[in-house]
Amino acid sequence: MNDQPPNALLPPGMNDILPPDAAFETHIVERLLSVFKSSGYEQVKPPLLEFEDSLLGGAGAAMTLQTFRLMDPVSQAMLGLRADMTLQVARIATTRLAHEPRPLRLCYAGQVLVVSGSQLRPERQVGQAGVELIGSQSPRADAEVIGLAHEALSAIGIEGLSVDLNLPTLVDEVVDGLGIEATAVRSALDRKDAGELAALAGVDGALLTSLLKATGPADTTLAALGTMDLPAAARAACQRLAEVVALVKDAAPEISITIDPVENRGFEYHAGVTFVLFAMDVRGELGRGGRYLAGGGVDGTTASSARIAHDGAEPATGFTLFMDTVLGALTPDQSAKRIYLPLDSSAADRRALKAEGWIGVAGLEAVDDDQGEAARLGCSHVLSGGKPRPVKGTKGG
Amino acid sequence: MATNQPLVMALPKGRILGEVRPLLAAAGIEPEAEFDDPASRKLKFQTRDSGLELVLVRAFDVATVVAFGGAHLGIAGSDVLMEFGYSEIYAPLDLGIGRCRMAVAEPAEMVEADDPRRWSHVRIATKYPEITRRHFAARGVQAECIKLSGSMELAPSLGLCRRIVDLVSTGATLEANGLVEVEQICEVSSRLVVNRAALKTRPEEIGKWLDRFTGAVDGGKGDGG
Repeated sequence: MNDQPPNALLPPGMNDILPPDAAFETHIVERLLSVFKSSGYEQVKPPLLEFEDSLLGGAGAAMTLQTFRLMDPVSQAMLGLRADMTLQVARIATTRLAHEPRPLRLCYAGQVLVVSGSQLRPERQVGQAGVELIGSQSPRADAEVIGLAHEALSAIGIEGLSVDLNLPTLVDEVVDGLGIEATAVRSALDRKDAGELAALAGVDGALLTSLLKATGPADTTLAALGTMDLPAAARAACQRLAEVVALVKDAAPEISITIDPVENRGFEYHAGVTFVLFAMDVRGELGRGGRYLAGGGVDGTTASSARIAHDGAEPATGFTLFMDTVLGALTPDQSAKRIYLPLDSSAADRRALKAEGWIGVAGLEAVDDDQGEAARLGCSHVLSGGKPRPVKGTKGG
Repeated sequence: MATNQPLVMALPKGRILGEVRPLLAAAGIEPEAEFDDPASRKLKFQTRDSGLELVLVRAFDVATVVAFGGAHLGIAGSDVLMEFGYSEIYAPLDLGIGRCRMAVAEPAEMVEADDPRRWSHVRIATKYPEITRRHFAARGVQAECIKLSGSMELAPSLGLCRRIVDLVSTGATLEANGLVEVEQICEVSSRLVVNRAALKTRPEEIGKWLDRFTGAVDGGKGDGG
């Protein structure tokens, strides 16, 4: 057994990220940010801690159960440790950057802490990277962020991407008109349990059943939604969804799009077109995003009422990528060549090699067997006679 | 979107498999011959359709295997789905097989003197601690669960606890052990389950199998009258 000293044990959900994964994570986050920035999104960096009232007010109430709190010994106020960055960025946009011209494009990357992981995603500290597009009601804004999420994930090498589009308020609008018990219906819809749904909603539920059955590839679903007798508000939402799909396909015809009109989980404060990013053979979600109302009306606003327009609120959309899932879908690239630089190698040679892109590992002691020392330190090459020579028995040799 | 990876379907080993087998045939799934050989130790099977493989796992593990994406499709009891409550699983189709109910049972001699309204705490032997806790919590009773993997009916006579929560189909096992069903928690049947990410990334293929199983279930209903 591998007996570790007692201080090796970490709390559940906490991990040390070691080489090469730590460097790879940094590289991928930088790559994502550069894609965001090349579309005009400017980086912001919100703090780890905020006053509990502002972090969890308004739409932030949706994150209450997942937020660590601590008492600030200085201000004696309760602080919340962010469990999500979207609403922090929305707060920045609607307060300190309220005077900036709209639409405002912001991007971010950072770590968040959640109270409990799930069995499938046990990590409690996870990286997030994302964008928010604030101040535009246009379907082009929805299409822009969906296209950008796809572009960013493709740029870092994720294959078989698929975007699932949702309308989280659609079911509420349909259920309201029927006068049936909403919680149980939601639970059946979450599990896509048609039998249970039929039993709960009865004849009146035929519309819900057809919504459930409409889940699938975008074209099929849009056609099915078009034939349904939906309430006016729901019909308008579907119309808008169709516009967004057309715009996304126009910009990037290769994107695989599905529509799930009954999905609601994880969209507690969202209203309008939302989406979840999946990839073939990757467990869980790579990221999610969609429309919400940024800022305004914090006092007395709950997560669900944050869906309704209130004073000072601005239309916004965006997405968050979950770095644990994203990195899990990729393999670190270790193609960079490591070279062992014996004690006697010249400074000029060392500089020249590094300029060529070599990773130079300097010897600190004189050794008899440079080859052996290079292999021991995980180098594929050794500097010998002013030239890189492959080390026998390694990848480079 | 095309892919070369076959879909994997997880099936429960044991008793339910006998009821699953005719459904597979009706859905047009033809496994290799060894699948029907009870002596075979194999757990992974090809089918005549190169796009579908079958794996056999313990009934209690089907939900976990599908939730973690180890299999794209599966057949799992609604009891197991309720116990784990995985958000990454959809259960779109009730297959109508493996029907039974989950119930609370206690020794016959205890029933008369027992007044459930006075309970604040119960100790229960069960294979389903989550469902049990939720069921009793909903009526304000704290359930302390002793997790067992089988032979729950023995627990009261061995003095582990006085009550059990278990699956009941005919009630014969309860009766043989001097227990009486006092409360039903839910009806149970087997469901076709689908991994959430698989449904989103391979909607056409998964949709095809869903339709075939729906057809198989409806066909079965017709035959049985």
